[in-house]
Amino acid sequence: MNVIEARALSIGYGRKVVMNSLAFNVKAGEVLCLLGPNGGGKTTLFKTLLGLLPPLSGEVHVLGEAIAGWSRLAFAQRVAYMPQAHAGIFPFTVNEIVLMGRTARIGRFAIPSRHDRKIAADCLEMLGIAHLGECIYTAISGGERQLALIARALAQQPTVLVMDEPTASLDFGNQIRILGHIGRLRDQGITILMSTHQPEHALRVADRIALLAPGSIAGIGTPRDIATPDKLAALYSVTEDEITAYLPTRALLN
Amino acid sequence: MSTKNAALPPVPAYLFALLGIVAIFMAAFAFGKYPISIVDLLRSIFARLTGADAELPEAIEIVIWNIRLPRIVAGMLIGAALAAAGAAYQNMFRNPLVSPDILGVSAGAGFGATIGIFFGLPLTVIQVLAFVCGLAAVGVVYGVSGLVRRHDPVLVLVLAGIAVGTLLNAGVSLLKILSDPHSQQLSNIVFWLLGSLNGVNSRDLASAVPLVLIGLVPMILLRWRVNLLSLPDEEAAALGIEVARLRMVLIIAATLVTATVVSIAGIVGWVGLVVPHAARFLVGPNFSRLLPASLLLGAGFVVGTDILARTLVVIELPLGIVTAMVGAPFFLYLLAHTGKTE
Amino acid sequence: MKRRTLLRALAYASLLAPFGGIRAIAQSTKPSLITAFGHVPPPSDIKRIFAAGGPASVLLAVLAPHKMLGWPSQMSSKVLDALGSPLRDLPVLGRLSGRGSTIPTETLLALKPDLILDAGSVDDTYLSTAQRVTEQTGIPYVVIEGRLADSARQLLEAGRLLGAEARGNALADYAEEILSSAARVRKAIPLEKRPRVYYGRGQEGLETGMVGSLHMEAIDIAGGYNVAAQGGEKIGIARVSLEQIIGWAPEVILTQDGNFATRILEDPLWRTIPAVQTKRVYCAPTIPFGWLDVPPSINRLAGVIWLLAHLHSVGKDDLERKTAEFNRLFYGIEHASNTIPGLKTGGTQRRTQ
Repeated sequence: MNVIEARALSIGYGRKVVMNSLAFNVKAGEVLCLLGPNGGGKTTLFKTLLGLLPPLSGEVHVLGEAIAGWSRLAFAQRVAYMPQAHAGIFPFTVNEIVLMGRTARIGRFAIPSRHDRKIAADCLEMLGIAHLGECIYTAISGGERQLALIARALAQQPTVLVMDEPTASLDFGNQIRILGHIGRLRDQGITILMSTHQPEHALRVADRIALLAPGSIAGIGTPRDIATPDKLAALYSVTEDEITAYLPTRALLN
Repeated sequence: MSTKNAALPPVPAYLFALLGIVAIFMAAFAFGKYPISIVDLLRSIFARLTGADAELPEAIEIVIWNIRLPRIVAGMLIGAALAAAGAAYQNMFRNPLVSPDILGVSAGAGFGATIGIFFGLPLTVIQVLAFVCGLAAVGVVYGVSGLVRRHDPVLVLVLAGIAVGTLLNAGVSLLKILSDPHSQQLSNIVFWLLGSLNGVNSRDLASAVPLVLIGLVPMILLRWRVNLLSLPDEEAAALGIEVARLRMVLIIAATLVTATVVSIAGIVGWVGLVVPHAARFLVGPNFSRLLPASLLLGAGFVVGTDILARTLVVIELPLGIVTAMVGAPFFLYLLAHTGKTE
Repeated sequence: MKRRTLLRALAYASLLAPFGGIRAIAQSTKPSLITAFGHVPPPSDIKRIFAAGGPASVLLAVLAPHKMLGWPSQMSSKVLDALGSPLRDLPVLGRLSGRGSTIPTETLLALKPDLILDAGSVDDTYLSTAQRVTEQTGIPYVVIEGRLADSARQLLEAGRLLGAEARGNALADYAEEILSSAARVRKAIPLEKRPRVYYGRGQEGLETGMVGSLHMEAIDIAGGYNVAAQGGEKIGIARVSLEQIIGWAPEVILTQDGNFATRILEDPLWRTIPAVQTKRVYCAPTIPFGWLDVPPSINRLAGVIWLLAHLHSVGKDDLERKTAEFNRLFYGIEHASNTIPGLKTGGTQRRTQ
C-alpha cells in the first residue's frame, strides 16, 4: 500500500519551477530517504507533499486522498512534520512545545488535558529526554531541540512522519541517537520520509533511497541499487574514488 | 545547557496579581481630587452593599459612585483590553516588541477623532468616527496584505500597518496645523491623542463593555491555538492549524477591543506592550495562562496609573503620558532582568 | 530678558529713526506695547496689512477693515454675515507663526503687504520669529503685546500706527471705560469674596484655563475668582476632572459652548455643584468673536461687560443695550442684537450657534 503517491508532479513557487514530472511512491511502513545536493528542491518537495505549497501541476495523494481534499486538522492527525530546529522566540517549556503536537487531537477551543500531558510525557520519555520537560525550549541545545521536535511530531500520533534533515548540525552522539530513534519508530510501524545530507545515514536507516538531482529524481530504489559510487558521484558532481574514500560503509552493503 | 523555567508557579502568581489588583482597585476608590475620608468611603460602600442609607452629602455619593466607579471600570476595561490585544499580537507577530497599534488601529482611531474634533462634531459622533476609522485602517492593512503574495504574510502585515499608520498620522498632523491655535480644537486634538479616562461616563461603558467582551471571546476560546501562531506558518499548519483563518479571527478580535477602548479613552500607549511582557515574566508564554494574567495585570496597571494621572499634580495629566512614564522604566527593568535569567 | 531688551532696542532703532510720529509713543511714561522690525512706513502709506494670526485679525478688523488683506483662518459664514462688507468678502490667507505657519512665504510676498501685524502675548521666541520674517521678506513686521488689561493702549497705539488714530482714540476711551468700571468692582470686592468661577472649555467642558492664563483674562479682570487657581502661571490650558470641579464647588460656570451649558443643567453628575443648582451657568456668545476668549484679543472687552453684569449685577439692566453698543462701535454691527443668532447676551438655556 502506498502512503504517498506523486504523479506527474511539478513543484515550485509561482512561475519558478523547482522540479518537474515527478513520479514516486512512499510505501507503508518504510523509511524513504531523500539524498541530494543543496538547492535540489528537497524542502520544496516536502512542503508540497505536506500540502503547505500547492503543486504547479500533477497530483499528490496522501493515504489515498488527493492532497487538496485534506483539512489541516485531519492531515495533522495522520501526518507529522519535523522541521529543522529553530531557536523560537518565546520561552515556552519543552513540555509546552511537545503539547503543541496534540493540537490536532483536541477540540478547537480546548486546551491539552491530563491525558494529553501524559502522552507528551511518554513521547519525551521514549526519546530519553524526560528530564528536559520543564526546561525552556529557547535555552536548550540544538540536539535537545531536535529531539523535542521529534517528540512533538510523535505526540501527533501520526502514521507518517516527514523529517527535514533530522541529523543536521548535530554532534556525532546525537546523530547516532536520532538515527536509532528513526529505526525504532519504523519498527513501531510509522512510515518515515526524511532527507539528509549524509549518505551514510541513509544507508544506515533507509529501506529505499531517492536521489534528488536538481530538477528531477535521478533514481529511486533499495540502497544497494541506488547508493552506488557512480550514481552518488554523478549526484554530487564528484569522482567515484572520492565517494568510496569517504564512504567506507559502502563496502558493508556489497 | 538547559535552564529551569524561571517563571513562578502559576497559582501563587495569580493570587499575587489578584491581591495587587484588589488593592489598586480600593486605592482608586480612596484617592482623588475631591476629599473623601476613608470612613465616609467605607460607610458609602457598606450602605450600597446592604441597601441602607449612608446619610452622606450627595456630592460624596456622586463622586464615589458616578465619577470614580465608572472611571475605575473604564480603567480596568481599557487595561484588560489593550493588554489582551497586545499579548495576542505579540504571539501572532512572533515579536515581543509589538503593541496593539501595529496594524494601524490607533492611528485610524486618532485620525477619525481628529476629523470629528476639527469639524466640531458632537462627542458621540467623534467616538463613533474613531471606532469606525480604527476598524477601517486595519481593514485596509489586511486587504493590502492580502494582495501581496509570495512574501512572509506577517512581515507584509507589519509593513502595511506601518505605511497606513504613517499616512493617517500625517493626516492628523495636517488637521492639527489647519486647526485654529486659539480655539479649543488644537488642545482637544492633543488631549485626545494622549488618552484619558477623564470624562468617560457610564453611557460610554454601556456600549464599550459588550464590544470588548465580544472581542475577548475568540481570544479566550482559542487560547491554546494562539500559541501555535508563534511558530513559523508552515510548522503551525503542519500541526493542524488553518493559519490564515486563525490569524484573521485574532486580528478582528484584537482590533475590535482596541478600537473600542481607544474610541472612548483616546490613545493610551505602552499598556499593550509592557503588560504582556510583565505577564509573560510571571506565568510564561503559554497563551492560556498569559491571557488571564495580561487581563488582570492590564486592568491593574491602567487603574493604578490613572490614580497617578489624577492625583500627581493639580491638573489632570493625560493617561498616555503617565503610562509611558511608568511603563518605559518598568520595561527597561524587565529587559535587564529577563536578560539575566536566560 | 537681556535678549528681549536687545531685540526691542534694535527694533526701536529701526522704527524710530525716520518717523517722528511714532516717537510720541516711546516718550510716553509706559513702554510701548509695540515692537517693530524693518522700516515701518508712515501711517498714510500703509494700505495693505497682513494679519499674522487671530488676535491681530480682530484688532485690524476693528481698526482698519479696509486695509485688511484676509483672514488667518477659516471664518464661519455666521461670523462673516454678522460682520458684513468688506470683512465678509476677504479671502482666507493662512497664519504666520514660525513652524506653525500655514501661509507660504512666497504667497506672503505675492500679496505685497505694506505691513505684517501681529498681536498676542509676546516672548523672545515670538519676537525672533518675527525678526526672521522681516529679514527674509523685507516686509516690516509689527508685534503688539496683547494683554486684555492693556487693550485701551493697544487700540490707541495700533490706531496711530495703522493710520486710524481718531477711531483708535475713540475705541480706546470706550475700552478704558469698561476696564475702569471693572477695576472699581475688583477694588470693592476682596479676592476671597469674589464669585467662584469655573470656565469650562472643550468638548466635555473638562478643560479650563489656569490662573493668569490668556484664556482667563476676561474673567480675572471682571472680578471672577478662578476656582482652578492653584495651577501655576505657566500652564495655559489644562484638563481637570469632574470630581475636582465638584470639590471646587464653583458658584458660576462659564462657557462658550452652548451644548455644554445645556447638558450640565440636566446631567445628574453636575447636580451637586452650586452653580448648577442656582442655574448660574452662563454661555458667552461667540459671534463675531468669542467674548471670553478665542481669539484672545480686544473682542473680550464685550465679555467683560457681560461678566460684570452676570457676576456682580453691574449694569445688568441695560446689558443688551451696552453689548449692542459695543458691537456697533467695534464691528459696525447695526442689527438689533436678537436678529443674529448667537449675538444675544447669553443665558443659561440659549445656544450660541
